[in-house]
Amino acid sequence: MVDAARHPKVDIRTYTEVERVDGYVGNFKVLLREKSRYVRADRCNGCGECARVCPIEVPNYFDMNLAPRKAAYVPMSQAVPLVYNIDLDACIHCYKCVEACGKLEAIDFSMKDKLVWEDVGAIIVATGFSHFDPSVMPEYGYGRYPNVITAIEMERLNNTAGPTAGNVIRPSDGTNPRRLAIINCVGSRDKHFNPWCSNFCCMYGIKNAVLLKQTYPDMDITIYYMDIRTPSKGYEEFYDRAREMGIRFIQGRPSMITEDPETRNLFVHSEDVTLGRVIEREYDMVMLNQAAVPQPDVDTTSSVLNVTQSPGGWFMEYHPKLRPIDSPNDGVFLAGACQGVKDIPASVAQGSAAASRAGRILHSDQWEIEPIVAVVWEDRCVSAQGKKCGICAKACPYGAIEYEQGKAAHVVTAKCHGCGGCVAECPHNAITQMHFTDAQILAQLHALLAERPEEKILAFRCHWCSYGGADLAGVSHFEYSSNERGLRVMCSARMDADFIYEAFRLGAGAVLYSGCHPQDCNYITGQRLGAARAERLMKAFEKMEMTPGRFRVEWISAAEGDKYARVINEMQAVLNSIPKEKLMEEIERLRPEMEKRARRLREVPQVEEALEYSRQLEIAMVGEEA
Amino acid sequence: MAGDNGHEELRIGVYVCHCGSNIAGVIDPKAVAEYAMTLPGVVRATDTLYACADSGQNLIKQEIKEYKLNRVVVAACSVRMHELTFRAAVSEAGLNPFLMEMANIREQCTWAHGHDPEGALEKAKDLTASAVAKAAFLTPLQMMKVPVTKRAMVVGGGVAGISAALDLGAQGIETILVEKQPTIGGTMAQLNKTFPTMDCSI
Ligand SMILES: Cc1cc2nc3c(=O)[nH]c(=O)nc-3n(C[C@H](O)[C@H](O)[C@H](O)COP(=O)(O)OP(=O)(O)OC[C@H]3O[C@@H](n4cnc5c(N)ncnc54)[C@H](O)[C@@H]3O)c2cc1C
Ligand code: SF4
Ligand code: SF4
Ligand code: SF4
Repeated sequence: MVDAARHPKVDIRTYTEVERVDGYVGNFKVLLREKSRYVRADRCNGCGECARVCPIEVPNYFDMNLAPRKAAYVPMSQAVPLVYNIDLDACIHCYKCVEACGKLEAIDFSMKDKLVWEDVGAIIVATGFSHFDPSVMPEYGYGRYPNVITAIEMERLNNTAGPTAGNVIRPSDGTNPRRLAIINCVGSRDKHFNPWCSNFCCMYGIKNAVLLKQTYPDMDITIYYMDIRTPSKGYEEFYDRAREMGIRFIQGRPSMITEDPETRNLFVHSEDVTLGRVIEREYDMVMLNQAAVPQPDVDTTSSVLNVTQSPGGWFMEYHPKLRPIDSPNDGVFLAGACQGVKDIPASVAQGSAAASRAGRILHSDQWEIEPIVAVVWEDRCVSAQGKKCGICAKACPYGAIEYEQGKAAHVVTAKCHGCGGCVAECPHNAITQMHFTDAQILAQLHALLAERPEEKILAFRCHWCSYGGADLAGVSHFEYSSNERGLRVMCSARMDADFIYEAFRLGAGAVLYSGCHPQDCNYITGQRLGAARAERLMKAFEKMEMTPGRFRVEWISAAEGDKYARVINEMQAVLNSIPKEKLMEEIERLRPEMEKRARRLREVPQVEEALEYSRQLEIAMVGEEA
Repeated sequence: MAGDNGHEELRIGVYVCHCGSNIAGVIDPKAVAEYAMTLPGVVRATDTLYACADSGQNLIKQEIKEYKLNRVVVAACSVRMHELTFRAAVSEAGLNPFLMEMANIREQCTWAHGHDPEGALEKAKDLTASAVAKAAFLTPLQMMKVPVTKRAMVVGGGVAGISAALDLGAQGIETILVEKQPTIGGTMAQLNKTFPTMDCSI
């Protein structure tokens, strides 16, 4: 910590939050809100006179609210940087602190939050984790029984810098406990709460037992566990040492804790797997090794920093084996527990790895990005012919399109992120997207629907989320109907209405229109563009009296493999429920309307060639009759 | 430019991966390759045990030259897994990396349809045909070069963030370490002694 404060190249901004991130790899613009502490960092010397005179006490979050702090405070005496804060919510404006601070004049009640833009080339996300609140498990009595505490509370109690200066006492009467139970997996490995193993609680449970045994050799300590997980280097040996020291291990997940209201002692009811029977033991104190969970504000962080989430709310890496440090967003990297629970050695290693990954970019003069940008066909743009339009410019989430009536719209390539929204929105088919042209997508569509299209479920997926969801369905071996045929574009914003009409014109049994959830969108508001279009399509198909369920709109994250499989299976069930003749009849009935609506697609450059190629492909795939 | 009536004759090569038994355990990759051979523009199609391994990549590189391929389709795993691998491979053989297209016949086919090998085979053929169709219309693209601001930001000042910031600093990169609480340190700062070394945490 102190090293970071001392490092000339590291500029620490505490009490600061990221409000917004614009730009792209190598060229991010980040808006920071430096919250006002009402103490000027350039003047405060950390003497703490203000805190000494402050008459107000409130619980200190840093001590897990076990001890008070003043309204003028630092969370801990070794805070880095050592600058005091005034908690205005608690402050009664007596101004004793101002007086105490005296000539330093560090306290300034007129301070305001400061908004600053910073230019950076790479971002490392290391926002960590939070602690599961065991009070939602009434059987353990946390919050009701004073002598049931959490592990993180124990860390503060058994800490010379903590609220009791390291004296471990029972909250009910201030005595030292003689019999302590430590319960593992509280809220972890539990389908009702968090399915994951929280990784470090076995080890910190043993650690606390060992430390307590060293300070209080007579303390009788029992650890209740389901499995002991000590796979890293030296960890199993540490576990052995704990057993040699006389710490008792009981295999069994306690079902209930009860309390003697007189003594405030606790009875832990549990199975003992080794003995094969139910046991009940009395303790003076119980410590719950609560699960590690994502930060409560993880959704905000993920949408501001543009990082997607894995199941459970941990940030998702680009690829678990091949690119475990990169986020899917180029130039943004992940480190520490925010990516998945890990202990200090692993967090430090991942921090170093992230610095090295970021260094690849930051030591380059230039960085390469994918050229999948939008390009305007100037001769097709009606604005060039003097007409009023500019629809594309309004659609672009990045303001990458310059529009001026009388001139062809112009895409500023460096600003374009390649969502394809403008391409799908342009009513005159005057824009194309590199690597995802109408001709390419159409050729794919025709190939996927060449044979028995009425049996097929054509699934449009966005690269970042629903394609990832489909991948996860496979990785998890969630089986779904093999009639699904996937087509990938970068964002649901690219899913042109024309493609959907063309799919139904070709006789697709069902069409899925899927992308990310709005808060996960990799292109700020791309999904909203896609969603609005999907809604219009849905209304149009309702009007045409298409059987409900043949066109479906679903937002599926890369973590929702189960959902992807379920949606496809439900669509298959819809198809199964329509008698074949009725389905064929409906397809024929709607074909002229679909044809009419998809007609404009044929004006797009290269589309005729794609259709000609598709005819040959169809002949190869199903023979002449196609 | 592309398309078989375009200026350039299409010469598509298709490589169908076994992925050990991950794909080949459910469908016959040879059958997919034979099928691909019948598609317009395809001049070469074959199966390979591991397309992503050196042997697989070398096969592709060598055949690009041997068959004068101008498009490559790899029917294997997810683009999220190996698109960059195969782009690099074709580019080493002198082909523009954007003239490579993948068909995902593992995550989105054999792994999801293990119960239905017939359906999986039919789907694998369609996905491969779809990739071939897209490949027919691919155009060479150049990566765009953007300038780099040589500063970094680390969001979160726990051990992971501190470690990242110190390493970046040591690399000579100016780094802003953003922490929402009044002090850096995260959970570690709250801990007593820490395993495995049992030294004090701060
Ligand atoms: C009771 C207990 C005991 C433990 N004992 C040990 C041990 O002995 N040995 C060991 O190896 N591990 C131990 N661990 C695990 C250890 O705490 C973690 O491995 C480590 O803290 C992870 O570091 P981190 O930097 O990823 O996250 P954190 O420590 O959670 O730090 C994240 C930081 O980011 C900040 N932040 C969050 N969101 C934002 C935002 N949006 N903007 C800006 N800043 C933000 C947070 O305020 C915090 O400072 C223990 C854990 C617990 C709960
Ligand atoms: S003005 Fe506020 S911070 Fe200062 S001493 Fe009074 S209560 Fe404390
Ligand atoms: S939406 Fe299309 S026609 Fe309208 S200005 Fe943009 S490019 Fe031109
Ligand atoms: S809408 Fe999307 S594709 Fe079009 S210019 Fe903007 S970022 Fe690029």
